[in-house]
Amino acid sequence: MIAASNLSKVYGAFRALDKVSFDVRRGEVVGFLGPNGAGKSTTMRILTCFLAPTSGTARLNGLDIFDSSLEVRQNLGYLPQRAPLYTELSVFEYLRFAASLRQLDYGTFMKRAKTVVEVCGLAQVLGKEIRQLSHGYRQRVGLAQALIHDPPILILDEPTSDLDPNEKAEFLDYLKQIGRDRTVLLSTHNLAEVETACARAIIVSRGRIVADGSLGDIRGRSGKVRYTLTIEDPKGELKASEVSEALAAVPGVSTVDQRPVQGKSLSFEVSAAEENDLRPQLSQLVLQKGWMLLELRRDAQTLEDVFRALTVGDARRNRNLKASAVEEDDNDDDDDDDDDDDDDEPAAPAARA
Amino acid sequence: MTTETNANLLDTPERAPAAPARTLTKPSFIANVVTIAGRELRSYFDSLTAYVVIGITLLAVGGFMFMGDDESFWKTDRATMVRMFEMLPWMIAGIVAPGVTMRSVAEEKRSGTLELLITLPVRDSEVILGKYIGAMSLVLVLLAGSLLYPVAMFTKPFWNLGVLDWNPVWSGYLGLVLLSLAAVSVGLFFSSITENQIVAFFLSSFTLLALTAIGKAVGSVQGWGGDVLAFVSILTRFQPFAKGLIDIRAVVYFLSIAAIFLAASFRSLESRKWS
Repeated sequence: MIAASNLSKVYGAFRALDKVSFDVRRGEVVGFLGPNGAGKSTTMRILTCFLAPTSGTARLNGLDIFDSSLEVRQNLGYLPQRAPLYTELSVFEYLRFAASLRQLDYGTFMKRAKTVVEVCGLAQVLGKEIRQLSHGYRQRVGLAQALIHDPPILILDEPTSDLDPNEKAEFLDYLKQIGRDRTVLLSTHNLAEVETACARAIIVSRGRIVADGSLGDIRGRSGKVRYTLTIEDPKGELKASEVSEALAAVPGVSTVDQRPVQGKSLSFEVSAAEENDLRPQLSQLVLQKGWMLLELRRDAQTLEDVFRALTVGDARRNRNLKASAVEEDDNDDDDDDDDDDDDDEPAAPAARA
Repeated sequence: MTTETNANLLDTPERAPAAPARTLTKPSFIANVVTIAGRELRSYFDSLTAYVVIGITLLAVGGFMFMGDDESFWKTDRATMVRMFEMLPWMIAGIVAPGVTMRSVAEEKRSGTLELLITLPVRDSEVILGKYIGAMSLVLVLLAGSLLYPVAMFTKPFWNLGVLDWNPVWSGYLGLVLLSLAAVSVGLFFSSITENQIVAFFLSSFTLLALTAIGKAVGSVQGWGGDVLAFVSILTRFQPFAKGLIDIRAVVYFLSIAAIFLAASFRSLESRKWS
């Protein structure tokens, strides 16, 4: 339903998109991930015919974005970032406006409006002017206008950014439901959302696709697993450095990080290749040393880890740090992942210039 | 429309049909232009723009007409509206057209609403034409408002000061409409090249006032220089209309300016794709 082939977009010397190709089939809800400034919005603007790619093209529903731009947009529901709406209109008037530009007659509009208003929870504010609404409600209105004509393709640019957790959950549920016979491309930096709503993700970084596949595939991509190991140390006599050295000496272990201490215990994060389960060796080591084991857990890498590993260059570049810093901090998982998002924004224009 | 009535209309929700309804109706050019123009006009009256522009203009015209120097309405003591037609071209060029059009595209670009508008199935030309017609409608409302002056002065239930020859008034209004068509188009163009409505206002106000003012210089420039100025000036093109003459060359002049700047606005809107 959505087929992008070799999309490139160049702003002066800045390459916002570099040969981006992907396919989204009918009935798929695909998460479009990437740090800010990676090219998510640019791609979406190209797909919605707001921008033209410098080279490459895309087909939606078999229609080319250059040759049948109007038809493409007829088949499309789009919510731009931050839901820019005409604030002087009331919610009802806005929906009516969008519907009439989409050639819905009044009867069809009212029928659709009932559904959409219910789904987006707008019944209470229908008569209110949009400027009086909170950001969360504005976003719902933006969603409502994207759904008003029941489009086969939905392109949503950070649709949940201003919603509260309950609204998010409801919205993602709805998305899953309508996603069964539609095509949905959803951009976000919230990885938990992708894990709830999408079966597949596309990760972009610096204008290129760095990962595209089912969530399972993407998680497995790094080929690493993490072990969390906690030992008790009631008298405070264990030295963290000794323990971590001993752990690092176990064959197969690639890195050991100490986690923040909780009470009288020491906690470590051990990462290792995926093939062999190291839990027997680790527990043996603990027994040998006579430590008191509180916890030993094996986790597959989370989507978040992969995301950070794949896009870390982006974040570093945007923070104007040296590329050499990348390796050192590669496995630094304790950072809050949100700080990627916050830091990028001011740096992005600098990168363009 | 109140919240309650809407809630009643919509209180029996239905599930979405399994098969998406495709909107395959051929988009109607006229219908889209009308929808966009309607929204545009609505938003003028919703913000202060419409009231401020209409208010200021009518006050200024009234002030100029009835007060001031020896040629003011009372002092000339004749049944004529010439004085009003002296003032209105300047007001339209300097304030009305720039003020009405400054937001049109610039503000939509700044706030991002343009993106939502353009990703609806509308042609760029429909957007430009819709905005043009919306802005033009407001100017027409204003011109209709200024009719109050001749009506109040020269018709029966009001003062009825004398027998007014209405023909130059009508031809004058025809001239004003033509002038507005050109001026609004220029304003729309400047609004489409910037994201800042204040910049748009000053650019179009300056351009239009300059085009008007060079008409004043026509008399003082001899030979072909004067001819050139007279050829490009809004003022010299307009003046015959106020005297009751409909000059076809002036009609063509105003319509050409309107067409050229509309095309330029269209190109400017389209250029977002490639920048």
